[in-house]
Amino acid sequence: MKLSSNKYYQAWFKNPWTYVTGAILLSIFQLVTIATTDGAWGVTGPFAVWGAWVVQAFGGSVDHWYFFSTESGRAALDRTFLTDPASVRNLGVIIGALLATLLASQFKFKKIKNLRQVGAAVFGGLLMGYGSRIAFGCNIGALYSGISNLSVSGWVFALFMFAGAFVGSKLLVKYFMQ
Amino acid sequence: MAEFELDCLGEACPIPLVKTEKKMQELDVGDTLIVMIDHSCALKNVPEWARKNNYDVEVEEVGESEWEIFIDKTA
Repeated sequence: MKLSSNKYYQAWFKNPWTYVTGAILLSIFQLVTIATTDGAWGVTGPFAVWGAWVVQAFGGSVDHWYFFSTESGRAALDRTFLTDPASVRNLGVIIGALLATLLASQFKFKKIKNLRQVGAAVFGGLLMGYGSRIAFGCNIGALYSGISNLSVSGWVFALFMFAGAFVGSKLLVKYFMQ
Repeated sequence: MAEFELDCLGEACPIPLVKTEKKMQELDVGDTLIVMIDHSCALKNVPEWARKNNYDVEVEEVGESEWEIFIDKTA
């Protein structure tokens, strides 16, 4: 029998898991995260630290940057990639996603349809990166971890994220439907 | 009983879904639409939308991370 038609292979690796399964696993692992690293789950925070490491590697200094003037900011700078739990976890997300798509036999370099797509991706990425830093978190650090740790800020973030998603989907239909 | 193709390769969500919704309006009853996608979330929301509208749906995996969704406009 072919592996691709094995029902266990299909259930575990091929077909997407349900949202409920995903939600339960996320809840469990965010608890594991807090218990083992003494910090809530976040994704984009390390990006800023990586950027600072690059600046430092070229002899620059980020000491006077407001973002790194806090105690936790300085502590993050003093760590290395392998001693920073959040950095290692981000790497794990990427490797895990790659592994999942390979196991499902769904790895593919998607073709780029037009330059507009590239422009929107770059511009959108910059906006998301900048926005997540001035909001002190992305939809994981500020929203998911915020709400699951009973912080009001998570709900405020949610409100404005929905507003942003609404405007974003209108723009998407307007500019990307040709 | 005409057959139409909708090339959504390289398009991310929710564009395949919105394009499918629009295209299905142009079709006559009895026509079939073949939506080509390579974005796995369209694999979820396009058939879901079609089934909600009581259309007959069939999905075929035509390559690695490439699918064709056959939608019959039944009503």
